[in-house]
Amino acid sequence: MLGNLKTLFLAGLVGLGGVAAAQADVTVEFWHSFDGGSGESLGKIIENFEAANPGIHIEAQNIGNYNDIVAKLQAAIPARRAPDAVIMEVTRYGLFADRGVLLDLTDHVDNDPLKDDLFDFAREVGVFEGKNYIVPFNSSTPVLYYNKDIFARAGFTEEPALKTYDDLLAVSKQITEKLGDEGITGIAAPGQFARWGLIMDNDSDLIDSKTGEILIDSPNTIEAYEWMASLVHEHKVASADGVTKENNGRDAFLAGKVGIMLNSTGNYTRSQKALGDNLAVLPMPCNKVCAVPIGGAGIGILSSSDKEVQDAAYKFISFAASPESNAIWFSGTGYMPINKHTAEQPVAASAVQDKPGITVAIDQLDFARGRPRPPVVTWMRASEYDVWQALALGQRDVEETLKDFAERTRKEAERTN
Amino acid sequence: MFSRLTPYLLVLPLMSFIAVFTYIPIAASINLSFREWDFLSPTMPFVGLENYRLLLSSHEFWNSVRVTALFAVISVPIRLGLALMVASYLVRETLPSRLLRGALFLPSVTSTVSIAVVFSWMFATDYGMVNAFLVSLGLGRVPWLQDPQLALWVVIIVNTWKQLGYDIVIYIAGLQAVPQELYDAAAVDGGRKGHVFRRVTVPLVMPTTYFLLVVSVIEAFQIFTIVDVMTKGGPAGATDMLVNMLYRVGFTLFDIGQGSALAVLLFILLIALALFKSRVLGRRVHYEA
Repeated sequence: MLGNLKTLFLAGLVGLGGVAAAQADVTVEFWHSFDGGSGESLGKIIENFEAANPGIHIEAQNIGNYNDIVAKLQAAIPARRAPDAVIMEVTRYGLFADRGVLLDLTDHVDNDPLKDDLFDFAREVGVFEGKNYIVPFNSSTPVLYYNKDIFARAGFTEEPALKTYDDLLAVSKQITEKLGDEGITGIAAPGQFARWGLIMDNDSDLIDSKTGEILIDSPNTIEAYEWMASLVHEHKVASADGVTKENNGRDAFLAGKVGIMLNSTGNYTRSQKALGDNLAVLPMPCNKVCAVPIGGAGIGILSSSDKEVQDAAYKFISFAASPESNAIWFSGTGYMPINKHTAEQPVAASAVQDKPGITVAIDQLDFARGRPRPPVVTWMRASEYDVWQALALGQRDVEETLKDFAERTRKEAERTN
Repeated sequence: MFSRLTPYLLVLPLMSFIAVFTYIPIAASINLSFREWDFLSPTMPFVGLENYRLLLSSHEFWNSVRVTALFAVISVPIRLGLALMVASYLVRETLPSRLLRGALFLPSVTSTVSIAVVFSWMFATDYGMVNAFLVSLGLGRVPWLQDPQLALWVVIIVNTWKQLGYDIVIYIAGLQAVPQELYDAAAVDGGRKGHVFRRVTVPLVMPTTYFLLVVSVIEAFQIFTIVDVMTKGGPAGATDMLVNMLYRVGFTLFDIGQGSALAVLLFILLIALALFKSRVLGRRVHYEA
């Protein structure tokens, strides 16, 4: 009888211990936007983190693209269903920081040795109005991808110059003329990130990142849009399919139906998988100046989460930016290294050696520019798609439309900033 | 055993459900339509009728009203006309008829998103199946989803394809209720097929037509998924339906006040349409043969 009681008592203690251990576990709900190869690399980083931090569980959920995350986060906040950590695109988190949704991470970052290991450009993307709200994770610049096989079949025996708007147009025209009958077009209609890059190449911007001045109707921006729109509706070297759905242009390039694609370096791995040795990567053109936007996203923490969960979440985002994690991410996706010590990691070193073109984005950092992130940028980016569609399909006059769009953006800036 | 409260207690669960999921959200929407809010700010300042004023003075809103009305005016008669024609052939209880009914009904129970994704690839200008077929016939490529004149027609085609099966099934039920002796009498009187269809079938399925008209007009004004997946309201606003504008204003541009005002206006518009149909068309509907 006594023996039975002792066993029962011990079993109870073990059970209580189990409950205590379970209660010590912290779960961090983390929303991100990565699938395919990127999702696998992220999964590996999470697995490594959980192995190193047994008390913390990262519940990762792929929510969709950056726009989807913004929309769903907005709806989740009043419903009290917001996650604990979230991937936020570098120009869109200002609104959430401004409204107090994101936790001010300045103290965390200041006390983290990681701070000194991050490249300046990477550290800068997390700062809004002097405070740190996100820790960089996937940084990118747009680059120029081309299909060597298409170039050869279009009659280019050696790599043509692809430095200016005129160069790009000439090459695209030649490809479309020679291979158009096979359903091949010269260039993919530029997506929003590439459009921003082409505007910067023309020595302008959409919004000045330092002063916040709206530059949508400045002469160089108008000129850049006129040229980009002409690729579709005037010269017909870019398919309109990529205008109404931006991913169509990328998918056509991956399917070997497009000669040139301007897109984020984050598309490197999938492009290489699709085209193999036929893939070539070059820096973005330098039409008037050499300049590229820094894109990608960082991870922020929600101020609504419990302190214990916030601390666990910070541990994770700091780990995700460490040289080991960043090397996994860089080699698996093509996104740029954000940590100065990433290159020392064997996996990153072998990627540099084995994957030609993966370093082009890094080489562009000399002339990379940060982008503005006041609250109005989120509105401006969401509205720009319709404007671009109207211009690229030749439905509206470029100058008049951009002047109207600039005016609307200024009004919205007054309302939201 | 039964007190006077019993009936109320019995309907209470259902009424609570409807209140929580229908009436309270409607009331919340009406409240939000008088406020300025972006989902994130802790305060929701009262702005009176400002959201309504901004909407009613915007070109975007009137474009959406025009596009939605055009969509309803074109798509509803096509749907109902086609459905009645097909139903009158499938009303016979034969094996091929039953198989065809099942096949035609399938799109109604298929995910709208899947349908829209497949059709957007089919109608792609350079890589789509429809244009590949046209090119094989020696014709040029048509920018189906990029031409403002055509994009709305593509949406109408896809929506009709999806909804037709449901309309056919309802019409078949209506047709089966038409007494056979009326057809026999028409045959004795020497009525031709077309004549019998116009003079016997059409008037006697009027209650079904009226029901489908009410439902399909409401559906037409609430169309969202096909447009969101295929065109996002483009090109240049050519397919920008009211609900797509509502979603964009509320969930993409962070203006919940204006989004709610738009929802309220849509609600009023649908009530007005329902009243109009009941006053004007309801009188012409006879429920007994």
